[in-house]
Amino acid sequence: MSDLPPIPWEGTKDKQRSLNKKRVGMVVDLRRCIGCHACSIACKTENEIPLGSFRNRVRYLEQPETETLSFLPLLCMHCQDAPCLGACPTQAPTRLADGRVVINQDKCCGMKACISACPYGAIYIDTQSGRADKCDLCTHRTSLDLEPACVASCPTDTLRYGDLGDPNDPLAKYAKEHNAKPFKEDAGTHPSILYVKHEKWMEQSAATGVQLSPEDNEIIYEQNKGQS
Amino acid sequence: MNQSNNEQNESKLSRRDFLKLGGALTIGVTTLGLAAPLFKQLSGEQIQLDLDKFISTRKKDFIDYTRAKATPTICFGCTNHCGVIGWVQDGKVRRIEGNPLDPNSMGNTCSKTHGMISYTYYPERLLYPIKRVGKRGEGKWRRISWQEATQEVGDRLKTCRDSGHPERFIFHYGRDKTKGFTKRFTNAFGTPNRLNRRAICSSNRRVPLMSFFGRDFEWETQDMENTKYILNFGANPMEAYQGGLFMMHRMQKARVDNGAKMVSFEVRPTATVNCSEEYFKVMPGSDGAIGFAMANVIIDEGLVDNAFWKRWANIPLAEIKQHIKDWTPEHAEKLSGVPAKDIRRIAIEFAQAAPHCTTMTARGSAKHYNGTQGDRGLRMLDVLVGNVGREGGLCLSSGRMWGGGKYGQEGLPSVSQPKPKPPKPKAFTPGTAAYEDLPADIKEKVAQLDPKWQKKYQGELATPAEYPLAWHWYGMKVGQLVQPYIREGRAKVDVYMSFAYGAAYGYPEAKVCRDVLLDEKLVPFHVAIDIGYSEHAALADIILPEATSLERWDPHSTNCYGLVPYTGIRQPLVKPLGEAREIQIIFRDLARHIGGGMEQYFDYENVEDFYKEWYKNISARIPGGWEEFKRRGIWQDPDREKDYELYERPVPYEELVDSTIDPETQVITKVIKGKKRSVGIMMTDADTGEMKPVRGFPTPSRKIQVYDPIFPLAAKSARLPEGDPNGNALPTLFSIPGFDDLKEDDMILTTFKWNVHTQGRSSQWKFNAEIVHTNQLFINPKTAERMGLKTGDEVEVTVQRPKGLTYRGGINEVVGVVKNKVRLLNGVHERVICFAHAGGHWEHGAVARAENKESLPIKEPNSGLEKSVSNEIWWSKERGGTGNGAAMNDVLPINPSPLVGGQNWFDNICQIRKIS
Repeated sequence: MSDLPPIPWEGTKDKQRSLNKKRVGMVVDLRRCIGCHACSIACKTENEIPLGSFRNRVRYLEQPETETLSFLPLLCMHCQDAPCLGACPTQAPTRLADGRVVINQDKCCGMKACISACPYGAIYIDTQSGRADKCDLCTHRTSLDLEPACVASCPTDTLRYGDLGDPNDPLAKYAKEHNAKPFKEDAGTHPSILYVKHEKWMEQSAATGVQLSPEDNEIIYEQNKGQS
Repeated sequence: MNQSNNEQNESKLSRRDFLKLGGALTIGVTTLGLAAPLFKQLSGEQIQLDLDKFISTRKKDFIDYTRAKATPTICFGCTNHCGVIGWVQDGKVRRIEGNPLDPNSMGNTCSKTHGMISYTYYPERLLYPIKRVGKRGEGKWRRISWQEATQEVGDRLKTCRDSGHPERFIFHYGRDKTKGFTKRFTNAFGTPNRLNRRAICSSNRRVPLMSFFGRDFEWETQDMENTKYILNFGANPMEAYQGGLFMMHRMQKARVDNGAKMVSFEVRPTATVNCSEEYFKVMPGSDGAIGFAMANVIIDEGLVDNAFWKRWANIPLAEIKQHIKDWTPEHAEKLSGVPAKDIRRIAIEFAQAAPHCTTMTARGSAKHYNGTQGDRGLRMLDVLVGNVGREGGLCLSSGRMWGGGKYGQEGLPSVSQPKPKPPKPKAFTPGTAAYEDLPADIKEKVAQLDPKWQKKYQGELATPAEYPLAWHWYGMKVGQLVQPYIREGRAKVDVYMSFAYGAAYGYPEAKVCRDVLLDEKLVPFHVAIDIGYSEHAALADIILPEATSLERWDPHSTNCYGLVPYTGIRQPLVKPLGEAREIQIIFRDLARHIGGGMEQYFDYENVEDFYKEWYKNISARIPGGWEEFKRRGIWQDPDREKDYELYERPVPYEELVDSTIDPETQVITKVIKGKKRSVGIMMTDADTGEMKPVRGFPTPSRKIQVYDPIFPLAAKSARLPEGDPNGNALPTLFSIPGFDDLKEDDMILTTFKWNVHTQGRSSQWKFNAEIVHTNQLFINPKTAERMGLKTGDEVEVTVQRPKGLTYRGGINEVVGVVKNKVRLLNGVHERVICFAHAGGHWEHGAVARAENKESLPIKEPNSGLEKSVSNEIWWSKERGGTGNGAAMNDVLPINPSPLVGGQNWFDNICQIRKIS
């Protein structure tokens, strides 16, 4: 009889935190996405995000040419040239050593300059704290070598996490092999979240809602206003 | 990115990338792009400082995986039941993620896994037994003790059982995944009326499986990771299908990495359609027509796997060819709208990919008046090309609990309930009190049944005489007829117990269910066991609060898409909140109160001990035993081979001892426990040419029963008119009554389920409801234009009562009229209006009701539930949102399929009218 496989989830107990990637990033392979919203809801559960705000949201986009829909997960792009960093007078948006863009809650005074500056609608005001917040690639998980909640929850490997700064990292290789590109490249922010098979037309309708209900879009998703 | 891009990027760097973090240090930029890091490497100490600083700014109670406790269990977010890991911190379940040891899900999860934490902690969850103080359904309750609750419910049950009519205890359940534990209670009690919702779900598509292959195997198990070609007839595994989670990750790998092709025939752009290489909009109920047309093409083009057909089909190919010859691609084009040339092309592509090809059918193809026979036609495609049981094909793998030695389970340890096991309830044969209690007209119907069914008959709720195929193979029953039959006096009720059930909201013509539950003459006592205050529970006399899936034990097994059987255990992550109790404790205490021998089957103090005994043979196979099994949550024999070609496996020598071979059919039979059973079939060995005993299929002929005499037998027993196609022994094409002469403005109303929801039981999960909370009517823009409709317009939908040989729930031709808003969407069939069924809840709390106010049935001290989020519900009407949509299920007719009883959800002819 063969040995039982090792138990993967027992490795984080009492583990020391560290950031061990050169340039953290993700690839979103749209060929694989089935629009299941696991990433959005895993993120909301993991980070206890109030209703009305999303760090990660899957949009349903009507294809212009066919009778089908496309699915598009969008999140903070962790830009290398991140507009939010320059926009905030109190310098609340900042970086960690592996390049991820985070918002230092201690410095935020909730004036929303970063929200206006972001071309991706990634930042929101947490209704409970009154401060800006957004995806930090689940630092509390990734510093223990767990994947971000969204990536860990993705049932089809659409979302992949790794090191874009190490050419030998599987993510960097995957990005290269599949010619992964930034979403809204024209915004010029040099994202660290790259997309496989994203099409230009998606950028126009990316602010539409997740439920195919136009009314929803105007009510929630404050964070998306002005970007469509 | 290439090098020149990198240089360009570098020159564009702005000052915003030079920043300070907490005043502690400066991070400098060196270079950009994939090849080199953006940020200069700093010393380990400083990085550590940075990270700690950031972590310290986070909410104090973030999930700290260095101290949270991980326990494997089984998800209960939908019907898939994936192995998951629950993380508990400070006594609360904070996170569920996939268990990578689960060979089905392989560590994958969906949105329901994550959202369902709400089920345990949502503010309106019931945590104490409550008893109504006003009229039934009035919504006035008082808290009672468990002692009082057990006393009152137990007394009612005892009186019923002691009266000699235990069948007047009705146990009606929604999703029971206790794998037979509740049956232990009803069997011990002596009632056959443990009533399910299989007819609502899947019986029309299970019957073709059972007829063809002898069992439904829980479900067919397509070898998705190795397939090259998928024909999808109305199945939606990317969104809502049983087994969907297990299939979706395999299908996407097959498609994206291995170039597999999927062709979908659907009525709307489902997630699965959107992941298909080709999509054809089809007229509802025409899937079978496409299947028969493809069968003709495969036969005509000489693409049949003749060796397989000859060896395993129970009818010569020539007979099938003759039978289906008129159902050509051109004929199918007329019925379905799919061009004949495409049907031809796709049939050929499919057959050429064999055996690495498979069909996929589901409610879309099967939940129609003609769906059972149509699905038989579709299943025939797999037999024609010989993909059954083969790599990349339509495989059959053993699900359910392992009794040891069942078909496909040879060598697996037996996993079954601890002894002693109660006897099964007896049949209602003449002379028994239960039989004599039947109305005279029912006795006549029973007398018309074939003797084999008369011997199994157990009343109109468990074994409805007009639907023998609902209980021929096993007790699928006809759930949507339970309340109507009670209303008509076909069965008497003393105690009605609902268990996690939502019929009063979610069943077709749900008002019938509500009316019956509100009638104290018909239902003298209703006790609901539920987690929350559902529409169904709201019509009870007493509600008993049940532990959630995060707080209780359940056994688990289902068919494995990796084709190696496995089992798992649901175990509590936390103690039940408040006074909620596990069903095993509720039933134990009721059984002890009722007494009369019932108590002997519930002789345990500790629920874990009960399951430890249940799983003792698994524990024996694991070094470390029960504790190690709990630590892993899943067990699979690592040395077992895949379930390919089970039918070719030899019958073991021990089983051949004392067996006999029928000289005509070559079927090997043996007397087991006093009953003659078939165990295999003699077949020519391909290498030696000698006859050898192999398993075959667990059908009466041990072959694939493309021809099945059970259909005409059932038709005769149910007194269908002579020649009615429902009773044809061969798969047969026919129209849905009324569909051949639709008027221009007649539409077909169909329903569907969104990926973030699970039946009617997830609308109170706040994060799932936030994504989907309405159920507008999707229609094709061309249809809308013709009717002068635009997105957002309110319309009135009038649903006509279906025709045909089905139960007629009312005398009116119109089932009902409902208002809702339309939403135009390309890809919806021009004749179809579709809506998601989980809208318009009127109970289940603030989130489900989309109201900015609490709606507790009873105010009790908080016991660890989340505080109300009612002020955050941005989609409420008060806040200018859409609200929670319309309750549409009342206008869908009760419409059981002839013989089988499966609800025909998608045969609803309707008209829509704009409300100005």
